[in-house]
Parts: sequence; C-alpha cells; structure tokens
Amino acid sequence: MNTEAKAVPRASLLSRLKVDRFSALYLWAGFMIVFGIWKTDTFISSATFKLTLGENVPIGILALAFLVPLATNSFDLSIGAMCSLSLVVSTFLQNDAERSFNLPGGVTALVAVLVCSCVGFVSGFVVVKLRVNSFIATLGISQLVTAVVLKVSDNRQITSAYSPTYLQWGRREVLGLPILFIYLMIIAVILWFVLEHTPVGRYLFATGGNGDAARLAGVRTDKMVWGSLVASATLAGIAGILLSAKIGFFSSATGPGFLFPAIAAVFFGASQLSRRPNVWGTVLALYALAFGIKGLQLVVGAGSFWVEPLFQGTTLIIAVALASQQGVARIRRKRAA
Amino acid sequence: MAISLHIHSLSKTFPGQVALRDAALDIEEGEVHALVGQNGSGKSTLIKILAGFHQPDANHVVTMHGAPFDTGNAAAAHAAGIRFVHQDLGLVEAVSTVENLALGFGYDTTFGKRIKWRSETKRAKQLLADLGFDINVRAPVATLGAAERTGLAIARALQDLDEGVSIVVLDEPTAALPGADVDRLFDAVRRLKARGISVLFVSHHLEEVFEIADRVTVLRDGEVVGTKRTGELTMDLLIEMIVGHRVVARSAIRSISAATPPRFVVENLVGPGVNDLSFAVRPGEVLGVTGLTGSGRDTLVGLLSGATPRFGGRVAIDGDDVPNAQPRGAIKRGLAFVPVNRVRNGLLATMSVRANLTISNVERNKRGWRLSHRDEKIEAKDWVGRLSVVTAGTEVPIATLSGGNQQKMMLARSFRLSPKVLLVDEPTQGVDVGAKEEIHSFVDQAAHEGTAVVVCSTDSSELARVCDRILVMYRGEVVETISRETGITAENIDRALLAGSTLAS
Repeated sequence: MNTEAKAVPRASLLSRLKVDRFSALYLWAGFMIVFGIWKTDTFISSATFKLTLGENVPIGILALAFLVPLATNSFDLSIGAMCSLSLVVSTFLQNDAERSFNLPGGVTALVAVLVCSCVGFVSGFVVVKLRVNSFIATLGISQLVTAVVLKVSDNRQITSAYSPTYLQWGRREVLGLPILFIYLMIIAVILWFVLEHTPVGRYLFATGGNGDAARLAGVRTDKMVWGSLVASATLAGIAGILLSAKIGFFSSATGPGFLFPAIAAVFFGASQLSRRPNVWGTVLALYALAFGIKGLQLVVGAGSFWVEPLFQGTTLIIAVALASQQGVARIRRKRAA
Repeated sequence: MAISLHIHSLSKTFPGQVALRDAALDIEEGEVHALVGQNGSGKSTLIKILAGFHQPDANHVVTMHGAPFDTGNAAAAHAAGIRFVHQDLGLVEAVSTVENLALGFGYDTTFGKRIKWRSETKRAKQLLADLGFDINVRAPVATLGAAERTGLAIARALQDLDEGVSIVVLDEPTAALPGADVDRLFDAVRRLKARGISVLFVSHHLEEVFEIADRVTVLRDGEVVGTKRTGELTMDLLIEMIVGHRVVARSAIRSISAATPPRFVVENLVGPGVNDLSFAVRPGEVLGVTGLTGSGRDTLVGLLSGATPRFGGRVAIDGDDVPNAQPRGAIKRGLAFVPVNRVRNGLLATMSVRANLTISNVERNKRGWRLSHRDEKIEAKDWVGRLSVVTAGTEVPIATLSGGNQQKMMLARSFRLSPKVLLVDEPTQGVDVGAKEEIHSFVDQAAHEGTAVVVCSTDSSELARVCDRILVMYRGEVVETISRETGITAENIDRALLAGSTLAS
C-alpha cells in the first residue's frame, strides 16, 4: 500500500509576490486604483491626500506609542485616555477666559506631556513592582485617567484661547505636506533607529521574546518594561498636544476613540516586513487603512461613520490571517526539510 | 522470536536532502529495541514516518505481523497497534491524571452525559498500577514527579490495550529525568516487555541503552549502520558506530598549583535546597557538583548566578562580592553562566543566532549611538565557525538549530564575555555524542585560559571527563569530595552518590 511521494509544490503566486509581507502595500495600491477610477475627481486630489495624511497623524503617533511596550510583550491600553489627558491639560492651562492660567503655548504643551510621562511612570510601577499584568494595569490606569479628564473638563467641550502662533504649529504646511505628517515622520525615524539600531531596541525585543532568558542573560527586563510604558505615555501625550494645535479645542470624546485604530495599525503592521512589531510596517498599515476608509467614505457619502470601524476590523483580520497562513506553510516546509 | 514490525528499503527524500536511505529494521515481539544516532541521523524521520507524520518515498516494504502497513497514515499506525510517547509527553498540567487519560478518548458516561467519576478514577489507578506507579490520580498533573508524568503518558498511550497494542515508541523519555526516576521508568518498560509488548526506545543516553535494551539499531547520516545485540557490544564500539570514528574522550589533565589564591569563593551559602555551603575554585580549575534531584545540586547555579535570590552567605570573585539576585550584576563582575533548560532560560527563540550570541553584551558593537549590525555579524560568524555550529547562517532564528547547536551558542554567549568564573548547569542535556565531546573540550579550553569553572551535572561520565574535583551533595550539604587522590571515575562518582544518600538518611 505504497503511496506515491507527493510532488514538491511550486512556489505559489502568493508567496512569489510576497503578499504576506507586503499585503499593506498591495492593499494601498489597490485602493488608489479602485477609488482613483471610481471617484477620480474627489479622491485623486491634493486636498484629499493632505487631509488623509494629516488627520491620521494622532492615530499614527498613538500606534507608535502602543508599539514600544508591545516590543517587550506588554500592552498599554491607556494611550487613548492619555491622549485625552494631554489635550485637556494643555487646553485647561491655556484657557484664560474663565481661569487665571495664562501660560504660553510651549509651556503648556511641555507640562501636558510631562504629566502623561508621570502617569506612564505610575503604570510602570504597577506593572513592574506590583506585578500586575500590563493588560489589566493599563486598563485600570486608563479609567483613572478618564476620571481625571472628566473632572477637569466637567465633560464639556473646552474652547481655548490658543494663540495663533500655537495653532500654526499644528496647521501649517511644510514642503507642501501637513506639518503634522512631518512630525509623525520625525518620530517614526527616531523610533525606528532606537528599536532597530541601538542596544536598547535589542533589549526591548529580547524582553518580549523570552523575559526569563533575557533577564538571566543580563538584560534589565524590569527597566525595559517600565521605560517602555513611560515612553508610550509620553508619545500619547505628544499626540494629545498635536491634536490641540490642530483642532484648537477639547472634547472628551477625542482620545479614547483612537485606541482601536492605533492598535489595528500596529497588529496589521506587525504582519508586514520583518514580521514582528515594527515602525514602518505600522506606518504603512496605518495609511493603507486610512486611504481605503477615505475612498469608501467618498463613495458612500458624508456622515458614513460606520465605514471606518467596519473597514478596520475587516482588513485587520484578513491581513493577519494572510500572514499567519504563510507562516503556517513556512513552518510545515521547515519541518519537512 | 516472531517479528512484529518489519521495515525494508525505507527512504525519505526531502527537497535537496535525503533524510533516510534504504533503512531496514525488524522489531521482535516483546523486545526492547533501542534506536540511537546523532542529531540529524534520521531517527526522528523514521519515527515520524511510523507515526504518520511523513510520507516515505515509493518502493518501501513495511509490514506489521506480516500484513502490509500503510505508512504515513496516523490512523493506520494506531490501528496496527503502534503507540507513541513523544518527548514533550503532551500532558495538560492543570488537570488531573484521570482527565489527562480521557484526552482524545473521552469519558465513560451514564445518563445525562454525567461522567462516571468513580469508575474512571478506579480505571486510572489500575492503569498506572499496571506500570508500577501509585499516584493520586485526582491531583493536577503539575504536582506529579517527572517519572510519574512519563508513566502517565505511557499509560495514556496504552489504555486501549485490548485493541491489540504491540509496539510502544518512547521518544527520548529520559531526556529530562533524574537518575532515580529513570529506574522507575525502566521498571515500567520491563512490565511492558513482560506483557509481550515491544518497546522502540529512542535515547541519547548510551548507558541506558545497555541497561534496558535487548538490541540496538544505529543510524548515521540517514543510513542504518547496523543492528546489534547489546550483549555483543561495548560502549566504545557503540560510540564508534554512532559517530563513525573513534572518539578519544580524554580526561583533562591540568596542574593547578595549591599556592594559587582561589578566584571564586562561596562562603556559608544558604538558599532553597542549599544549606550552609562553602567552597572555593582556583583559576584554571574545574569543579564538579553532583547529587540527586533535591540535593541542592539542581538549585546551586541559580543561587550563584543571581537567577534566584539566596537567603544568606557570600559569593565573591577575586575578592569582589557578587550581588544577590542580580544576574546582570553577576555578569558585570565576570561571572558567566549557562542555565539548565535552555528553552525556558536561555534561548530567545524567535531572535537570530546573532542576537542570541550578543545579548549579554550588545554594547560592545556600538559605534557612537549606533549598533553596528555589520560588526555583530562578523563576530557571530567567527563564533559559529569556532564552535563548528551547524546553522543556515547567523541571521536565522536560533529555534531552527538542533539542540546541540543551540547549546553551543549558549556556551558561546558566555565565552564571549571572557568570564573569570563560568557556571554550567547540565551542559550536555539532550545533546548528541559528537556535540557532547566538543562542549567538553570548550570547558577544558575555558579552564586552560584561567577561568574558574563550576559544572553541575547528573551525568557521572561527564563529570569524570571534565572535572578536577567533585563535590557530592545530599540534602543541601556536601557529603563527599572526590579528588584526584581518591580517583575521579564515573564509578566512584556513582558510588559516592549512592553512599551519600544512605549515609545521610
């Protein structure tokens, strides 16, 4: 009862096109073509491009914030609330209409970011010293931060008397691109350098890969986790002040809604390029999704807010499934060899 | 004796590689048949073909009791009466023995799908008792000892014995078992044999092959070198068959002047399993530590390296105190160590061979702010060459390497730090004969370069091979010191181990 040995399968089209590692890029190109043809006049315009590039920057920075602790295999679910906190602090301190604070914009921004860093330090303490799982710890911190935000703002929209100079920092264009996009790129380059080209990046990923082994090999894993939570909070704080400079007022609904899209971009991005959480995969995934959503919104019409979560959920699952299918196939081949 | 499993001209070709070439193997009814060979010799391929995981090449003959056997089909293997106990056992730790036995088989239920716990418990007790184990079958498996777990895995494989089980394949069942537990396992194997069941026993431990097996088949580079009765073989002959040439296991000869001040000093160490232990190691000396599980031998390296906190005592290198419970602090003071259980405590499995090598000192390749990947690669290539590590390069994940090669990289990680003190815990566990000798010669070399080395091991021949002095531990204390004067041989060490346990109890 011999069975004929199976013929070695030829490399499939999918694997030759590296669809698994570059699915975001293909997706992006696909959207450009489809919506470019469908809604040529509205989609293919510099206004749409600038709008899409600019309005997704806070989400992008939050995604990068989420990425840092994820490298150590820790979750920071408080980044959305942290973004709100930064926004409310900076608006509150600048609001000279009702209160006596009248600090210059630069100072308020710095204070807002530092406040977030401090809260990140507390998250780190809870995770590292009290040994609470990061998922739970940051979920708790997130609620505490939300409480502070609601107390300070009375859950009302705060319109601040931002100086025009301050708002220029969020609304200007540089080299024909929204200045916010430039900030995102600067942060991405710095983060990419730290994660991929410094010992600290190596230590972060080692901590995430096998914490026990990393500790025994001499990596200060506690410091890595703690530090990464401070970094994520700080980045979330920066996202908050960029928002303040862009939109010029506070609303308690602004920050928390960014959490899912940011996390979706990170996980989608982690299926790209180097196949682990990485900066450029995240940025790529972010904009592939953003342009898809923009196109679909133009097709469906204004007020179609449901498009966004529908789209993010679908693409996230498809992209990650595609990557893991390829991963499974690769493991099979390796076992066979 | 009647042949139960007959294999002839069995080959397996993977793209670009022949893993098994014209293998022939006969297993007699009721015999214990050992299958040995270095990593990559084709052992696992053969087992995987039997288990139905791989499809062999055409034109092979495999029969079971004279009837054709459909290879590469897990259901057929099961129906033919072959059972497998894999190295990782596949037990669910959080649930009880009874529940583990039911995995994949289901429970005996009564009205309303109610599980008949009483009869299931009784049945479980009986199955384990048949193998010589008396355990609490309602307790979580996590509370069982290593031998008991292996026994449970065998019992699970055998529970449908009435369907005609004729061969049990034990894939490295002793890899993680301490000496005393191996005896209990072998007792179970002998009980199987008495019931007329054949056992195909895969192991790296050659002493065990002589102890338990009737016959042994040796594989090398995908081919069967031969099948011999163990009574007709000697250890040296068997090793020669496995590696293809004579391995000269020379005992290290070093002369350390008694006047040299000690490099590594341990005073009144107290910690889990260790009670008021003191010793000193001179530069260039290799100190062995042995003892049964629970004697303190198994927790010592953790306490010395800072992996686990010690309760009291002093550890010093060249007079410089090693801080408590800080692996990094210990490394900074010149203490490098290779922990036991490399998968859990050593490997960064998803990261590259290069990243695994340099993790204890990444800063060395910093150029300004930047980490030079180029310099790292050069360094990694150099170490891979120096330790003749078999790998597809320095950039592949370390998980793709074989156990022996992974272990060499763990040693390289430590050697790279040019340590003053090197601690190794079970350095050759799960490593094949060839790599074992290489690892031993790296230890020799470290000592030659002036490192004070401590080797904790349960492998007496290993200790005899590399050590200048051996401490035998029992219940947290040193009960005997074996030195050059008293004669460092595996027999002496084994005797001291036994004597220690009777002496102190």
